[in-house]
Amino acid sequence: MAKFDLSIPKEGRQRAWWIWIGTLSIFLVIGVIGAVRVFVLGLQVTGLSDQVPWGLWITQDLSSIATGAGAFTFSAVVYLFSIKKYQPIARAAVFVGFLGYSSAMIALALDIGRPDRFWHPLVYWNVHSVLWEITWCVILYSIVLVLEFLPIIFEGKFFSRWPQLKRYGDLIHKASPIFAGIGLGLSLLHQSSLGATYGVLSGRAIWYKPSLPVMFILSAVAGGIAMTLLLSIVVGKLNNKRVISPQLQYDISRIAGFALLAYLYLKLWDWAATSYYSNSPGTTEALALLQSTTPYTQTFWWIEIILGGIIPAIILLNPRLRKNDLYSIFALGMIVVGVTINRWNVTLSGLVAPPHWSPGVLGNVLAASYLPTWNEIIVSLGIIAYALLAFSFGVKYLPIFGHDEEAAH
Amino acid sequence: MTSNTQSQGKKNKKRKKPIISRKEFLQIAGSTGAATLITQLITSGPLSPDAIKGIGEKTHTSVGGESKHAWCMGIDLSKCIGCQYCVWACQATNDVPDDEMRWNIGFPERTENGTEFFMTRPCLHCQEAPCVKVCPVGATWKRNDGIVTMDYKRCIGCRYCEVACPYDVRRFNWKPSESENLYHPIWGSPEVERRARGVVEKCTFCSHRIDRGLEQGLIPGKDREASPACVNICPVNARVFGDHNDPDSPISTFVRKNETFRLREDFGTEPQVHYVRPEKEEA
Repeated sequence: MAKFDLSIPKEGRQRAWWIWIGTLSIFLVIGVIGAVRVFVLGLQVTGLSDQVPWGLWITQDLSSIATGAGAFTFSAVVYLFSIKKYQPIARAAVFVGFLGYSSAMIALALDIGRPDRFWHPLVYWNVHSVLWEITWCVILYSIVLVLEFLPIIFEGKFFSRWPQLKRYGDLIHKASPIFAGIGLGLSLLHQSSLGATYGVLSGRAIWYKPSLPVMFILSAVAGGIAMTLLLSIVVGKLNNKRVISPQLQYDISRIAGFALLAYLYLKLWDWAATSYYSNSPGTTEALALLQSTTPYTQTFWWIEIILGGIIPAIILLNPRLRKNDLYSIFALGMIVVGVTINRWNVTLSGLVAPPHWSPGVLGNVLAASYLPTWNEIIVSLGIIAYALLAFSFGVKYLPIFGHDEEAAH
Repeated sequence: MTSNTQSQGKKNKKRKKPIISRKEFLQIAGSTGAATLITQLITSGPLSPDAIKGIGEKTHTSVGGESKHAWCMGIDLSKCIGCQYCVWACQATNDVPDDEMRWNIGFPERTENGTEFFMTRPCLHCQEAPCVKVCPVGATWKRNDGIVTMDYKRCIGCRYCEVACPYDVRRFNWKPSESENLYHPIWGSPEVERRARGVVEKCTFCSHRIDRGLEQGLIPGKDREASPACVNICPVNARVFGDHNDPDSPISTFVRKNETFRLREDFGTEPQVHYVRPEKEEA
C-alpha cells in the first residue's frame, strides 16, 4: 500500500508544510473568535436584514454541500454500480464530502438565530417544508458519510493500537453498497431540495420555477466531481507523485465535462424560456432591477456561464487539453468557483429584487442591498480553513490516496 | 493491559508528578461535560417531556377542531388620512419599541394617476401562507380561525419565512430588544410579551384580544375590547375587522358595499386583508 507522506525530510517541503498549517491555523483561530462574537452578540454583527435575511453563510452552506456531492456520486458509481475503475478516488470523494457537509453544518449552526434549538426540526415536524426535509436528509446523510469514512480512520496508524476497531471498520466497509444506496437516495433528495428551497416560493418570480431543483443537483454533481478531482491532482502535484493514474484522471475529467454540459444545457433553456422567448412581468421587472443596480447579471454571464461553464467544458472534453494538468486544475477550479457564485447569485438575486406589492408606484422600487460584514467574512474563512486543515491532516495521516482495494484483499 | 499500566507507572515516576493526571483530568472533564449534556437533553433538549410529546407533531392545527370564525380585515385607502396611529397603536399593544421592527407598517404612496395616499399593511394572514408552508418546525402555523401566528418558543430563527413572505411582513430579532417602548403610555403595560433575540415575529391580528373577547362573549370587530388595536385607534374608521363567516359583521358589509382588492392575488397566497382603492370610483 503506497502511502503519501508530505513530511519527506526535504528541508523546503517540511517548511512549506508548517507555513501552510500555520497560516490555516491562524485563519481558524480568527474564525473561532468571530464565531464566539456571533454567539455572544447575536446576528446583529452580520450585514443581514429583514429584506435580505440570507447571505454569505447560506451561500457557503449551499456551495460546500454542492462541492461535497462527489461523495454520493463516486460511492454510487463504485459501490452500487460496481464500476471498480473509479475505486482509487472514492475515498477522497467521501472525505471531501464529509468536510463539505460538516462545514455546512458549522455555518448553519451560526446562521440560525437560536442554535440551542437546532434539534427542533427532528422533533417538531412540518412535512410541507422543504427545509424540514433538507434538515432530515442532511443529518441522515452526514451519518452515512461518517459511517463510510470510519473504516478509513480505523486504518490509520494511530488506531492500530486497537486492532478490534479495524475489524469493526471492515464490517462497516462490507456494508458499503447499502450506504451508497441510502446515500444516493438522500443526496438526490436534498441536493435538489436545496434548489427547491427557492423554487417553490410563488411570491418571488425569478425563483419560482421547477428548473431550480434540477439545476442544483446537476451543478452539484459537476461541482462535486470537480472538487474531488481538483484536490486529488493538487495533492499529487505537491508530492511530485500522482495519486491517481493519468488515465483515471482523464476519464473523470471527461465525466465532469459531460456533467457540466448537462447543467449548461438546462441553464440555456431555463434562461431562454424565462427571459428570451417569453415575458413574464415579475421576472422581467426583477431582472431589470438586478441589471441596473447589482453586478449579478455580469457575474452570471461571465463567471457562471463562460468562466465556470463553457471554458471548463471545452478543456475537460477536449482530449488534448485535459491532458495538461495545469489546464485541468484551472478548469476544475473554475467549475467550483462557478457553482459557488451561482449559489450566491441565486440566493441574493431573489432577495435584493423583492416583488412589488403596494398598489402605488413608489413602494419598494429600490433594490435591497447586502454586503457581508468583516465578522461574517472571518467566520467563513475560518470554516474554509477548518476544511483545508482537516483535509491536509487527513491526506498526511490517513490512507486516503494510494489505497488499492483489490491489492488490500 | 496490566503491562501497559505498569509501563505507564514507570514513566510517571520519571517525570514530575502532576497534581492531576491526564487520565483523571479527562475523566472529570468528560463526566462534567456528559452530565451537563444529559441535563440539557432532558430539561430543554430533544429528550425533554415537551419535546417527546411533540415528536412528529405536524403543526399546531392538529390540535382543536374546526372554528366557525374566519377573521378578516378591511382597509379603506380612500378614507385613510395617514396619521400613523394604527402603526403606533400596534407598537404599543404588541410591545414593538424599535421602528425597524414594525409589524404594521405605513408609508406615503402615489397612484399611477398621481393621487397621493397613505399605504398601511399589517400581516395579510394568507390562507395559503408561504411562511406557514416553509417553516421547518411548524413554529408558524395557521389557526382554525384563519389567523397566521407563531410559537416563539419553537422558532429556530432560520428566517426561511422572511425569505418566503412576498409582502415583507416578518421581522427578525437581530439584537436583544431592550429599549424603552416610547409608544406605550406611561401607565399600564403592553398586552403582549416582548420576544427574545434570535426569533422571528409578526402581526397576530391581536389574537390575544380576540380570544379573550370571545371568552367574555364579545364580538371581535364590533366590541372594541375584542378588536385589534390598529382597528380601534383609527380616527376615521379606515380599518374594519370581523368574521367573514358572519354576514352582518363589519368586514362582510365592507366587502359587500365596496369594490375591494387584495395585494398581489396572483401570488396565490389568498390574503385575508381587503383594500379599497385610494381613488374611489364614483358610484
